[in-house]
Amino acid sequence: MMLIEERMTLEKLFQNIRSGKRITPEEGVFILRNAELLDLGDLANEIRFKKNPLQQITFVLDTNPNYTNICNIDCIFCAFYRHPGEEGEYTYSIDHMIQKFKEAAAKGVTTVLLQGGVNPALPFEYYVDMVKRTVAEVPQIYPHFFSTSEIIGMAQVSGLTIREVLKQLYDAGLRSIPGGGAEILSDRVKKKISNKKGTSADWLNVMREAHVIGYKSTATMMYGHLETDEDIVEHLESVRRLQDETGGFTAFVPWSFKPGNTPLEKIIPHYATPTRYLQMIAFSRMYLDNVPHIQASWFSEGKKTGQIALHFGADDFGGTLLEENVHAAANFVNKTNIEECIQLIHESGFAAAQRTTLYDILKVYKPVEVAA
Amino acid sequence: MTETIYFRDKNLIPIWDKVQKGERLTLEDGVAMFKSHDIISLGKMAHHVQRERSGDAVYFVLNQKIEPTNICVLACKFCDFATKAGQPDAYEMTIHEILHKLTPEIHEVHITGGLHPDWKWEYYLEMLRQIKKNFPNLDIKAFTAVEIDFFHKKFKLPIEEVLRQLKDAGLRTMPGGGAEVFSERVRKRLFSSKIGAKTWFDVHKAAHKMGIPTNSTILYGHIETIEERVIHLLKLREAQDETGGFLTFIPLAFQPGDTGIKPTNQFTSAIDDLKMIAVSRLMLDNFPHIKAYWVMLTEEVASVALNFGADDMDGTVGGEKIAHDAGAVSPDKLAKDQLIKIIRDAGKIPVERDVYYNPLNLYTSNVVGKIPYLNSVPFYHHFERRQFRIMPITPRRMGVLSEQGQIDAGLFSLVDYLRQQKTLEVLPYCIATRDQVKSVMLFSNCGWQDLEGKRVGIIDDTATSVKLLKVLLGKKYGVRANFERMHSGVNNYAEFDAVLLIGDEALQHKKSGLNGFELVYDLATEWYDWQKLPFVFAVWAVKKELPEVQRQELSSLIVNALEKGEGDFAKISLIHAKRIGLSSEEAVQYLEGFNYRLGERERQAIDVFYSLLQSVEIEFIQ
Repeated sequence: MMLIEERMTLEKLFQNIRSGKRITPEEGVFILRNAELLDLGDLANEIRFKKNPLQQITFVLDTNPNYTNICNIDCIFCAFYRHPGEEGEYTYSIDHMIQKFKEAAAKGVTTVLLQGGVNPALPFEYYVDMVKRTVAEVPQIYPHFFSTSEIIGMAQVSGLTIREVLKQLYDAGLRSIPGGGAEILSDRVKKKISNKKGTSADWLNVMREAHVIGYKSTATMMYGHLETDEDIVEHLESVRRLQDETGGFTAFVPWSFKPGNTPLEKIIPHYATPTRYLQMIAFSRMYLDNVPHIQASWFSEGKKTGQIALHFGADDFGGTLLEENVHAAANFVNKTNIEECIQLIHESGFAAAQRTTLYDILKVYKPVEVAA
Repeated sequence: MTETIYFRDKNLIPIWDKVQKGERLTLEDGVAMFKSHDIISLGKMAHHVQRERSGDAVYFVLNQKIEPTNICVLACKFCDFATKAGQPDAYEMTIHEILHKLTPEIHEVHITGGLHPDWKWEYYLEMLRQIKKNFPNLDIKAFTAVEIDFFHKKFKLPIEEVLRQLKDAGLRTMPGGGAEVFSERVRKRLFSSKIGAKTWFDVHKAAHKMGIPTNSTILYGHIETIEERVIHLLKLREAQDETGGFLTFIPLAFQPGDTGIKPTNQFTSAIDDLKMIAVSRLMLDNFPHIKAYWVMLTEEVASVALNFGADDMDGTVGGEKIAHDAGAVSPDKLAKDQLIKIIRDAGKIPVERDVYYNPLNLYTSNVVGKIPYLNSVPFYHHFERRQFRIMPITPRRMGVLSEQGQIDAGLFSLVDYLRQQKTLEVLPYCIATRDQVKSVMLFSNCGWQDLEGKRVGIIDDTATSVKLLKVLLGKKYGVRANFERMHSGVNNYAEFDAVLLIGDEALQHKKSGLNGFELVYDLATEWYDWQKLPFVFAVWAVKKELPEVQRQELSSLIVNALEKGEGDFAKISLIHAKRIGLSSEEAVQYLEGFNYRLGERERQAIDVFYSLLQSVEIEFIQ
């Protein structure tokens, strides 16, 4: 690092990035260490408007139910999961979930992000049927089902390869998978916080297979625990490389670790600060030059932080989240509705555009110029 | 880096030109900024000003809020704290109960409350006396202008007398509440029974003239217009020009709650909050601090505001009540380490302060001290700080904090370096006179020989100049005078036979003279005429325990900054001269009179001074 710090100046680096040069991992760490918040925001914003010149922020009407909270992975950052037989455990039938989807659809929801637990008692057919019946019985919603960990779990339960699992789900009608479970794509950190979850390569491998088959997915990052700046850069570098290869990521979504009720709370008692979130949003916009959208959220860090993030390189505000259980288990609860979501976007100086899971625009809500 | 702004809103460009030249902003500028959606550029402009004033410091205090009663004779629409006697939620605290809420750990207590119809004047005085008696290290910030005016009317005492008696009882500073919005239109609609702008300013100006610094506020986000906000700021700026007594400005976001003015869920937007902070920093060019009061602003916005012009995070605020009754979403008490984390993450230095904003503890490493005088600007103006953090601090405080290991490097006052040679390594940069006429001035009633036994007031900031004065008196003139430290800002020079001023304050008075003193001596000239050597006031030094790599990096950052700074006197002068009351040409001339590199003659001068100092001050020996 020393050598580079001697010859590098931020000013020169930023000029290079402005003229379209890719950030190297080495430069990335230097920038994260030394750049000021508003310099990051400024450049990220410029890049955002080059990619997406509209003074407009997208959002989706969605919900995040969970079909089970039984999980055998024991991540120490999670307060949601239960072991089989433990008090509060549940697994819902497909009928039950379809009913939920119908209720959500009646409220205008178009995207269902469905995840577990990784429950080894569920057969592969459960998942395939879930997709088939959703497509057939609730056509208003677009299934955005199953994280990489669950897909790996399905392969284990069924004895099929990852590719075969993904193919059968695709044939059942699934076209899009969520990007959760990446946490930090650094095996040094993964070993400490989610030892049984597999390596960074496992996550990347499922994503690669999925993209090759024709799936779209998001990529996520959970920071604010044991990671260093180097780990963040390693994460972004892995995402950027895979995106060069497949082009399958629609958006990148960072959020911070929520310590409430988790085993990791003893070591990391505090939330990451809003400043760090804005750094992550801006820096990922700068680093991931090949990912179309950066998603900020009113939900994961708070409504006010979400509003500010729209000026730091994000062009999407996430979903309205009719239901959410995982953050809620860590005592982190935040609610909105479509009216408020639009208002938050308008107050930030943008038109609000309702989108689909795959970022097609459904309806644009123009702001009324209000006197402050 | 922050010097370059890529404006999305071109209307801000002429405003930025003014800011860079140190020109005052107008009503129209303020309105244009509030109307802009380009919040990153607004933030960068405000951050530029913040950095010039406060470096990377963000201040907080370990404090407690006491509201002795919620019984109030007023009924303001925006307040759902106040009640009437006999209501089930009405309360009155005894002095015993108040003392019970305080602890020796805190440094500042903030007291405001309802206007109680029955309490006696003596009760308020006794409250302050008992607090001071039981907690001698605790400073009292108490009573808004509304309360002072209430005391004035109820107890039939002139405002000055109310303040004088409170000051004698232990009052140190006053909060800024009750200002709301300085607009008669708004006052008539929302708080017609409360004092207006005139009374608020009368009280604050009276306090300032008495040596009681105060805060100031705006309550925004209800029915006020953008113009009304900006006019509010302009009125404060005008008053500050007159008295200089405001410490900080605190934008208070309106909490809708059950106040009936706005729907309960209509909080101000984060964007509006950040604009309010940034525009305040830019308009209030004569205010030392802008506060991001997290209790009202939310922890989220307050964190971000530290890069949008705010350099003050209030404090730990045990027991905040008014904002919570109206539904503020902040946690009841932010733990000190959470505050420190927020400030550090913002790239700033968490500075625990006392009631006057003197730094007590710095909770971060890689701190570079910056003497806040014009003659040190050439070192800092182009300093690329990298992972170092800049702490503006008077020479004397820097010596104290450095002794405690809290400063890693900086431009040290010479005597502090000499005292701490064991732990500090000198770098080859300094502030030395070339020959004469600098900014360390003795204003006196009589000649040198006649100062024997006289009272000499010493400005509190100085570390080296007071020693130079001692050496000159003792060794050059053979005279012994009595030195007394004067507190910055609240000086009554008239009681002294001579006063020693340094830095920008000395520069100001050098030009216009200091009332009541006929003679002005420049200590550097006195020294030069005597020793035919330059005088070294400060040297760059770095902690020896800092890793070699960092010491080297710092050295190269300093020399880079100095090389650029030395070629940039005109621009530096343009920015800083006005504040001190000099013309740009005078400022350039002043800067050109210094030598910033520690050469042979400078080292020789240090040695000569060191041995003279040791002979007048026996205890000053390593």
